[in-house]
Amino acid sequence: MMSETLHDRHTAHPATADELAVSVAGLKRRYGQRTVIQGLNLRIARGEFVALLGESGCGKTTLLRALAGLDPIDGGRIDGPAQPAVVFQEPRLIPWDPLWRNVSLGLDDRRGKPLAQAALEEVGLGDRLDDWPRNLSGGQAQRVALARALVREPRLLLLDEPFAALDALTRIRMHALVRQLLARHRPGVLLVTHDVDEAIVLADRILVMREGAIANDVRVAPEAAHDRSHPAAQALRAQLLAELGVVAAQAA
Amino acid sequence: MSEAVNHFPLPAAGADSASAAPETTPRSPRVLTARSLFFISWTAPLVLLLAWEALARAGVLSPQVLPAPSKVLQTALNLIAQGRLLSDLGASLLRAAAGFAIGGSIGFVLGTLVGFSRLAEALVDRSVQMVRAVPFLAALPLVIVWFGVGEGGKVFLVSLGVLFPIYINTVLGIRQVDPKLLELGRVTGLSNWTLIRRIVLPGALPSILAGVRYALAVAWLALVIAETIAANTGIGSLAMDAREFLQTDVIVLTIVIYAGIGVVSDGIARLLERRLLAWHPNYAAKGK
Repeated sequence: MMSETLHDRHTAHPATADELAVSVAGLKRRYGQRTVIQGLNLRIARGEFVALLGESGCGKTTLLRALAGLDPIDGGRIDGPAQPAVVFQEPRLIPWDPLWRNVSLGLDDRRGKPLAQAALEEVGLGDRLDDWPRNLSGGQAQRVALARALVREPRLLLLDEPFAALDALTRIRMHALVRQLLARHRPGVLLVTHDVDEAIVLADRILVMREGAIANDVRVAPEAAHDRSHPAAQALRAQLLAELGVVAAQAA
Repeated sequence: MSEAVNHFPLPAAGADSASAAPETTPRSPRVLTARSLFFISWTAPLVLLLAWEALARAGVLSPQVLPAPSKVLQTALNLIAQGRLLSDLGASLLRAAAGFAIGGSIGFVLGTLVGFSRLAEALVDRSVQMVRAVPFLAALPLVIVWFGVGEGGKVFLVSLGVLFPIYINTVLGIRQVDPKLLELGRVTGLSNWTLIRRIVLPGALPSILAGVRYALAVAWLALVIAETIAANTGIGSLAMDAREFLQTDVIVLTIVIYAGIGVVSDGIARLLERRLLAWHPNYAAKGK
């Protein structure tokens, strides 16, 4: 269905000021007495795909929600678009709107419909414009959510474990689709995930988060991303799993 | 998923069970098909009607007690010819519509405010719940003192009966809107008004429509009572006049008309649900 024609995704993008998708400096976030994020710094360039790994409760989702503007911050600053696009773990489609109105949500109908049509065609659902969300499979619904996120050509795209609920085969197809879409639209991307392999396949750069701060920042070699059995991929995988507190031998 | 809240112990509308088409059960070759079950479900009341007609004609049922269906039909035609039936029907429909519009609007607006705002809830909700605890028909003597036998009292009573089911189902519907969709609306940068129009009200609609359907039944109940007590026009006054002269056929006719209007209004409400909730798996037209 979607061909893999993406050779340029690992091109390095030097982050000049206007090429930045988002810049975070000294971010703090507390829930009551508990500090969840403490002095976090992060820069994502346009066209750069950054994956964020970390154990549950390390503050990954808190960071994403702060970047999305869903939660207030308690210190530091975020310089980025006021309205980044977000794809959540669940598709969050509006059940009473046909697909095209889901995609064009927030745009006026006259301008939105052709844009929605183009976006749905991009994700392979161009013939389902007037269908209801309830008639979609999980993978299709998540593709609509992607179309909705990209239709506004965001400078920053936040992905909150968007493939976690999909079956393995669908997830592989989604990875291919996402690479294809991002090569075309080139937003800066922050993907929050638990899946080390997913991070290696998709990301240019992988951050490991621990106790509210970035503990490590690794660049993914192109050969590791293209071939998961490549020694570089295996070494990276073992390194990341060790940092996440999983012994590689157990996980393999 | 809508949860209709029933505020008054009315019996469920009989139309529901009758029109729900039975599922085909292919388990045993001997069982009746859906089509024959449907046929039987309509034949049974028809047989009852014919038996009623036969018994009346044979003189077993006195016309004073229960006139034959054919006699009731004849009476209906006569009354239409005299011009009385349609004007009375019009008067009743007008009252019901006015009361429904007034009570429904107040209920919807209050329900929307309370659904959105904790402050509005603190201001309004307890008082509304207290008034709701009063069976609205108990206010009838007071209504007659206030309004006399004019139109105002009847419209007021219908409004009062309609207000609560609409109010409660609107509040409930708004509270039940998926918070994840509200969050989506926020990250998409929707204005408050767009959020309400695109996410909150459509999300509350199944519950609101359940309230509307229930309120329609209440509206008729209120109207029957109000017109029976005090009215010079309307189906209820027709029945009361007939009682004076022991015209059982006219009384039966008015009962049939009330029932017919109930069935029709329920049908309209169900049509609305099917049209407006086409996206909803529980309401979607079959075969989609």
